[in-house]
Order: sequence, then C-alpha cells, then structure tokens
Amino acid sequence: MNTTVTSPSVTLSSNDHLLRPLLDLAEQHPRAAMAAVRVGDGYIDVSALEFVDRVRALARGLVAAGVGPGDRVALMAHARLEWLLVDYAILHVAGVTVPIYDTSSAEQVQWIISDSGSVLVVVETPAMQAMVEQMADRLPDCRRVVTIDGGGLDELAAEGAGRGDAIIDDRLATVDLDTLATIVYTSGTTGRPKGCMLTHRNLHTNVRQTLDALGPILQPGDTALLFLPLAHTLTKATALFGVEGRVREAFATDIAHLPEEFAMVRPTLICAVPRIFEKVYNSALSHAHAEHKGWIFDRAVDIAIRWSRERTAGRIMPWTAAAHRVFDRLVYGKIREAVGGNLRMAFSGGGPLGERLTHFFAGIGLDIYEGYGLTETSPTLTINRPGAWKPGTVGRPVAGTSIRIAADGEILAKGAQVFQGYWRNPEATAAAFDADGWLLTGDIGELDDDGYLRITGRKKELLVTAAGKNVAPAPLEDRLRAHGLISQAVVIGDARPFIAALVTIDESAFGQWATEHGHDGSTLDDDSTAKDLRAVIQSAVDDANRSVSRAESIRDFVILPRDLTIEAEELTPTLKVRRGVVEKAYADIIEAIYARSSR
Amino acid sequence: MNDRVRSPTSHVRTLGDGRQILVRPLEASDRDQLAAGYAQLSPEARRARFGSAPDALSPRRLDLLVDVDFDDRCALAAIAIDEPGQPGVGVARYARNPRNPTEAEATVVVLDDHQHRGIATALLMDLVELALDRGITTFTATVMWDSADLLSTLRSRGAVVRPAEPGVAEMRIELTDANPLLRRAARMRSS
Repeated sequence: MNTTVTSPSVTLSSNDHLLRPLLDLAEQHPRAAMAAVRVGDGYIDVSALEFVDRVRALARGLVAAGVGPGDRVALMAHARLEWLLVDYAILHVAGVTVPIYDTSSAEQVQWIISDSGSVLVVVETPAMQAMVEQMADRLPDCRRVVTIDGGGLDELAAEGAGRGDAIIDDRLATVDLDTLATIVYTSGTTGRPKGCMLTHRNLHTNVRQTLDALGPILQPGDTALLFLPLAHTLTKATALFGVEGRVREAFATDIAHLPEEFAMVRPTLICAVPRIFEKVYNSALSHAHAEHKGWIFDRAVDIAIRWSRERTAGRIMPWTAAAHRVFDRLVYGKIREAVGGNLRMAFSGGGPLGERLTHFFAGIGLDIYEGYGLTETSPTLTINRPGAWKPGTVGRPVAGTSIRIAADGEILAKGAQVFQGYWRNPEATAAAFDADGWLLTGDIGELDDDGYLRITGRKKELLVTAAGKNVAPAPLEDRLRAHGLISQAVVIGDARPFIAALVTIDESAFGQWATEHGHDGSTLDDDSTAKDLRAVIQSAVDDANRSVSRAESIRDFVILPRDLTIEAEELTPTLKVRRGVVEKAYADIIEAIYARSSR
Repeated sequence: MNDRVRSPTSHVRTLGDGRQILVRPLEASDRDQLAAGYAQLSPEARRARFGSAPDALSPRRLDLLVDVDFDDRCALAAIAIDEPGQPGVGVARYARNPRNPTEAEATVVVLDDHQHRGIATALLMDLVELALDRGITTFTATVMWDSADLLSTLRSRGAVVRPAEPGVAEMRIELTDANPLLRRAARMRSS
C-alpha cells in the first residue's frame, strides 16, 4: 500500500484572483446567462454583464460605507443571488468575506462577528438585523448592518453611485493571489468556532483543481441548482466552479420549494450532501411501496446497481442491459423526473455517501462524484471523476495535492488549496500542521494501490450529520448532564439527518423530584409523570441547544427506561459508555426517532 | 479459581523518578478512595476512562467498580506510599469478555498530576501477568485518539489499533511471550 500519493499541479498566473474569471466572462460573453433567480412561477436569467454591473455597484457602495482593504464583512444569508453578489463585491474592494449560516444561534453570530472584527454585517432578514442590533454593544468593530430583504443593498449601491469606477478598480489592482478572501468559521470538538483563513490562491487553485478533474464532463447549457448554504465552502466552491466552467447557476428559494424548483430549473448539475440523495431514494421507495409496486422497485434497484457495477468493470451483460432498458421506462425515468429530468452529475461531500447508493444513482443516469476535503482545504482534496471513479472511496487527490497516511492512520495533506491558518489563533494553527508542514486532517483513512482514498474513521470526537454539519457531542452531553435529573446523556446523529439524544434519569434525583412535583411513588412509565418529566428534560435540551446552531441542535430525545448496564451491553465490561455500544443496544429506539421525523 | 493460579500479590515498584508506589489488589474498602479519586480527575481524564464525564460516580457504579473476583474481574491499585496519607493515584483493571473467555477489556486511569511517571505502565505489567495466569491471551481497549502518546506506546508494543466511532480507537494486543511489554515485565519480575 502506498502511503503518499501526489498529483501534478495546476498553475495560476501571478496577477490572478477570484474575480478574474467573472470579469473575463462579462467582457467576452456579456449576454451569457450566468445566473437565474425565481420570479413568480418561473426563473429569469441574469446575464454576466448585469451580474458584474451589480457587483461593481455594491463594491462602490462598500467603499462609500468605509470598507477598507483587508476589512472583514460578515454575510449571513441562505444561498441566493445576493449572497454571491455581495461576496464578489467584498472581494472587489480587497475585503474579506466572513460567511455566517442563516441557522446560527445568537451566541455563534456574536462570536463570529466580534472575533473576525467585521466592520459591516450584511444580513438577510429583519429578524437577523434585530438579532445583530441587540448585541451591538458587544461588537465594537461593527459600524453598520445592511439588510437584504429591507432594500439595504439598493441603499448601499445608491450611496456609492457618485463614486466612479477608479476607486474600485484601484482597489482590485491591489488584490493578488495571496490576498485573504474569506474567513470561514468551523466548530471543533471543544471551545469556540475557529476562523479558517482562505486566500484567493487557496480558493482559485481549488476551482482549477476541480475543473481539471470534472471540467471535461461539462457541456454548453449546463445549469446548476444551488440550494445548500453558500456559507458551506463546498457550495461556494461549486458556485466559483460554475462561473469559471460557464455553468448557469440557478438559486433555489428554500428547501421546501425544492421539488417545484427542480422542475422549473431542470438542472444538469447539483452539489449536495448525502442526505439529499438519501431523500430522493427514500421518497421513490415509499411511493413505490404505497402503490404496491415495492417489488418492482426493489428489482429495479438491483438492476441499476448491477448495471453500474458492470459498467465500471468495463462490460455490461446483455441481460443486464435489457432489464435496465425496461426499468428505465418503468422506474428510473420517474426518479429522474423528481429532480427535474435533466440531472446527470452531482458533487457529493460533507459525509460518506455509500457505495450502494452511488451505484444506484449511476445506474439511473446520475453520476455522483464523491469527494473529500475540509473547510481548511478550500475544500476539495480528493474527488472521484470520469475514468477514475471508485464508489466507496473519495477518489484520488486533485491536481497538485499530496495525500499521506501517517503511522497512526491519520490522513495528511499538502497543496496550494490548504489554508493559511486560523484567524488570530496561532496555537490552533500550529496544532493543525505537523513538523513537516502536513495538514493534520483529523480523519483516518487508507490509500489503495491505485491511489484512491478511503475514509475509515475520525480522530476527533465529532459527529457529521448526513447534511454535512460537524457537531461536537461532548459539550452538548456535558450541558445535558449538568441537569440534576440526568445521569447519562448520549448524543447521536453521525450520518443521520439530525442530532438526537438518549438520556437516563438519576434514580435518587428522580425520587426527590417526584415527591416535590406531586408524583410521589410513581415510576418513569406513569403517563402523567412521564409527561412532566419530558417537559423538564426538554428544558435541559433547550438550554444545551442555545449554544449551537439549529443544524447542530438536539432535535429529538428519548428518556431511556433505566440506567445503562453491562448486562444489557449498553456499557462495556469496564463500565465505559461508548456511543457505538449504546447505539447498538438501542438500535430500535434510534430507528424510531429517525423514522418518525421522516414522515 | 483454579489453584495453579497465583493470587494477586502486593509489591513496591520504584518509578523512573526514584519515588515508590505500592501496587496491590483493589479492595472493597477502596470504594471511598475511588469516589475521591474520580472527583480529582480532569473532565478529559474522566471522559477517556468512562466515555462520559458525570460530576460524580453514582453509588451503583462505585459498587460495580469494587466488585472484583480476581478472575473475571480484576483490578490493581497504585498507592503513593512515600506521600503523606498514602493516596491512591491509579487503577488498572480488566473484565473478561463474556462471549470470549480468552479476551478481556482493559483500562487504566492515573490521576492527572501523576501522569507521565510510568504508573500506568507499572500497573499494566502486573495486570498482564494476572491475566495470562487466568487464561486471558488478548486485551482489548478503547482509547480516545486524543491520547496520542498512549496510542503510540501501545502500538510500539504490538497493539493493533483501528478506528471505532468518531474520536475513539479500538485496540487489541496479544499477551504472548513474544510481546515486548511482557519481556520487560518478566525482566522486572526476575530482578
């Protein structure tokens, strides 16, 4: 087995920066449909020229608002056209974008704005504006809040209207590859989120690396539907990839409207996390079973997987091909229609997709290119690509990237997309690299003989939900256990749609609580006691949730009927509480938690 | 217990820093000391040992911790005999796997202030001896990946380490005579 794999590099010219591809596009193809936004019951295009004009108007506004070179500007919004416009405008004036998830808790928002020292905050809604204004006295650097839905961007552009182009062109002339472009905050296992500093070089290199791997499959007229938060570096990288790869980018309004917007946009490309693919599969499955065609569906799945496996091996058996044609009419076509009918490629990251599901989608005509990376790596380090596609692995390193497996199995990485360090946090930066300058990813993996990387574990005690959100269970568990009635708390959710918790009740504290609350002598399973107890535990859960974003919060919990025991194999023989052991012991209860939410 | 099996004995070990500890079988009367020792552990050490870090060990859990039979459940305590009050500073234990009697799960915990003095190693060497006498040929353990020093020590002594759930490494070590850990234990025994 190789322990290091390196790919030849991509080169960037020294005066390059992230706006260059956008400005070139507007100059060479001003009328090209660069983006598309929903208006009424349809989508209308935004041309490259119009897009750049709006970026430059906002850039003039930012200068008028006093945003100087190197100043940080926070941006809190879901994925929408304005997000990208504001981001490019910030870069145009040599500023630094600090994205904030629209689901972040007040505690996190305050930390990110204050730690980054953002001078201006762009938010999406009046509710977010109110949240930021409430913490204004704790944000000494922040001078202004601009609200997108309140017409704030038009005001900003109007303020800059008298400024002329020279000022923003001069600013852009100071931007080069080593200019800081963004600070993206990520949660670790303990402590506050840390700001990953990514330069124009980091992000631009990664766009080129991804284009090197996947550019050949792009076709004129390709359209991407963007729906995951642009605060997630994978989505942002996809947007940049689209600009450079001449892909039209349509923005979904929200997840609830996704089915109708898939039908309106008919995208050929999406960037998603495993959860999205699981949803498409599960909804097709449940429809089929509801129509009593479950057995047909199951057979169709088998054939799709077999067809993809045979295709990968280089030869599709005639019988497989025949069955595949039949099921294409009966089943696969309908699934493709659910995602607009034209979707042929998808990027998947943020968590493991699984070999079976990858083959299934390939079998129905949707090639999913699963990759691997971190926010710290802009984000892509490895990716599956046409001709080098091995489901179950995360592919080979992208161009100019070295992957090494350390003696303990940890995946190490080097490449021009690897970040500069954590913002104002030299200790964390030093801890992120080994003595030879390799980035310590915290993930454990193997390289096979052909140079494909397989992820086998995680050194950090972090759960990664199917939606790709990193969640540290320990602080949540500690906060739960701080409640007197809770003896044990186990937070779960790795590769699941959301975070949940299993809690056990402290017997002696329960006795006292029962006496004080009129449930004297009752047990955990008495109906009225259980109801009151649940309300108390819910308040402990709510309290734990205040420290984290909605995506990281405990959405459901179960009170276990008794404490964990060795006999029931919920504890190891030496009394360790291990997540894996508890999850196995309570598999049924856990399945029930996730089943009731999917209805 | 079969009578060929040696009973656990107490003996004094001299550590690398010249100080002495007594390694002896854990006793039922150590219950309060265990509770006090737990209270002194850092949250990280608690989490590393128990996989969770409640503020105190429950009475039931303490009962289980002192319930040792020196066959299926064996525990050794390290006592700092040259310190005032002769406090307990560490415990190593194994518990036989009910599904596979030649295998046992092993753990060791040492008070934060006494770590990196060789106490865990001293405890483990004696524990391995006891285990071999009782027909146990493999130790398994779960170790947090954060404990990089411990993991590399174990690996250098022949442990196979593989990832389990996030943050946790699962390790297996064969307690054969070929193992350097045991060769060292044997040398110390004969000296």
